[in-house]
Amino acid sequence: MADLVLAIETSCDETAAAVVDGRRIASNVVASQAELHSVYGGVVPEVAARHHLTTVNAVVDRALEDAGVRLGDVDRIAVTQRPGLIGALLVGVATAKALAYATGTPLVMVDHLHGHVAACWLEPVALDPPFVALTASGGHTRLDLVEDYATPELLGQTLDDAAGEAIDKGARLLGIPYPGGPGLEALARDGDPTAFDFPVGLRSRGPDQLDFSYAGVKTALLYATRDLGESGVHNSRADLAASYQEAIMRPLVDRLMLAADVHGAPAVSIGGGVAANGRLRELVQDAARARGLRVAIPDRTLCTDNAAMIGAAAAFTPAIPWPDYVGEDAIATAPPGGIAA
Amino acid sequence: MTTFALDTATPDPALAIVDGDVVVAESWLGRIPGGGRRVMEAAHDLFSSSGVGPSDLGEIVVGVGPGGFTGIRIGIATALGLGQALDIPVHGASTLEALALGIAASGISPPAAGPEMTTVPVIDARRGQVFAAAYRVDAAGAMDEVIAPAAWEPSDLAAAIAGLGPCLVAGDGADIVPLPDSAERAAGAAADRISPVLLVRRVRVGAGRPVAPEYLRLPDAEENRLRRLREEARA
Ligand SMILES: [Zn+2]
Repeated sequence: MADLVLAIETSCDETAAAVVDGRRIASNVVASQAELHSVYGGVVPEVAARHHLTTVNAVVDRALEDAGVRLGDVDRIAVTQRPGLIGALLVGVATAKALAYATGTPLVMVDHLHGHVAACWLEPVALDPPFVALTASGGHTRLDLVEDYATPELLGQTLDDAAGEAIDKGARLLGIPYPGGPGLEALARDGDPTAFDFPVGLRSRGPDQLDFSYAGVKTALLYATRDLGESGVHNSRADLAASYQEAIMRPLVDRLMLAADVHGAPAVSIGGGVAANGRLRELVQDAARARGLRVAIPDRTLCTDNAAMIGAAAAFTPAIPWPDYVGEDAIATAPPGGIAA
Repeated sequence: MTTFALDTATPDPALAIVDGDVVVAESWLGRIPGGGRRVMEAAHDLFSSSGVGPSDLGEIVVGVGPGGFTGIRIGIATALGLGQALDIPVHGASTLEALALGIAASGISPPAAGPEMTTVPVIDARRGQVFAAAYRVDAAGAMDEVIAPAAWEPSDLAAAIAGLGPCLVAGDGADIVPLPDSAERAAGAAADRISPVLLVRRVRVGAGRPVAPEYLRLPDAEENRLRRLREEARA
């Protein structure tokens, strides 16, 4: 029996809608604003919110059309409620509430981070718990123990910058335009990851801790570029990029593997925008294989922000019946410590 | 034709169900910060109490601003979502024009105004500025734009309307404008808030707007970027 979920995601700079049918992705539409924000060197909340509004209805139409279904066929509507840019979230939430209300459809308020974890539930990855999930993006860096998709349990997270934020800041120091991730990765391909020894955050805390820190590595890159001077940086750009990328990715991989060991999990997964990085995907693949762990590395389109993952999380989040959701609101911040299911 | 009309651009979010030109039900949300975020809840209450369901609607009319950016977006997103789901037309109307019609109808006529009066709707634009325009409204409700909608420093607006002769000023930003002697503050809460039926009236006379926000102000980041470009061009 079909269980059609129309999902909407507008928490940052992607306007996205998808239709998922159980674990199957029927459509997954993403209108990226990255180009729009590149002139500002980063996501501008007001620009993002303005663009979501002009795009969201067409993106929803397209998702329904691609899936070959009509709004009336949808069993539930899901929307990202938190965390994210409040003005951006509000466009998605207001749209979803109106669509659901007018059609008498139940509404599911989804936590964006829950979505990143739940992306692995979808086919063709279709990973079953237990596993440890790494979520790394411009806004978040965290490890969750997933014994049940409904209640991921936070194991560790960044204490300062997110991994993706460190990538963007590093890329800027190396003169790579926003968004820095793809540019840094391309440049790093020609460089030596051992050329510079950038510090790994929280090493002093001992080998068994599962938090992250990226403020130090960013500062180290800043000092390295100052020491090298303009021409030195020019000559060592690829090596700097490769070494810096390595200093960001290594702790992600090491702590993901450590968490699997500590909690006896037979599998690991990665998600979030940073999980689109080829070097991270390669390192995780190799490390998991060496330990005999199963590994879920979703397609890049399911790692970066998308609505299919919101539809997946909706399978594990209670739906609110019509019309009890009319007072639901967007929330900018994540709940302390956890994922709100 | 049953119309659902809403405006969440100002601190007095308003919604109404209108049948032709007759108000079936209307309500204003409380003046609380972010009140517009409760518009769907208020709409449900309005539908429930009036016995009109979403499926009875033939069209939606929404105020497109100017006003609070977030509020405008919530109103438009709500209107477009309802329109998309119900497959009915959505029309925009100017928040300032609806406010001007309300001021003209507020019943306070300055002695020299005659059958036509100049109304100056003023919406608080924060940062010490206001969104305002001026319109001549006749007894039948036909209106001519005298000063186009813009973001103003209050003193500049005062200077601009000083030359218009007698005028009536209202809106949630009216009290921060130092009014010239020729201007009168339309008193009463009703003059300061939007009547959604007046949005519908603008659409009826063919003066609707595209369903797109009238922000009247660029995002700060864009403002700063343009300033940098201008400075670079000068250097
Ligand atoms: Zn994300």
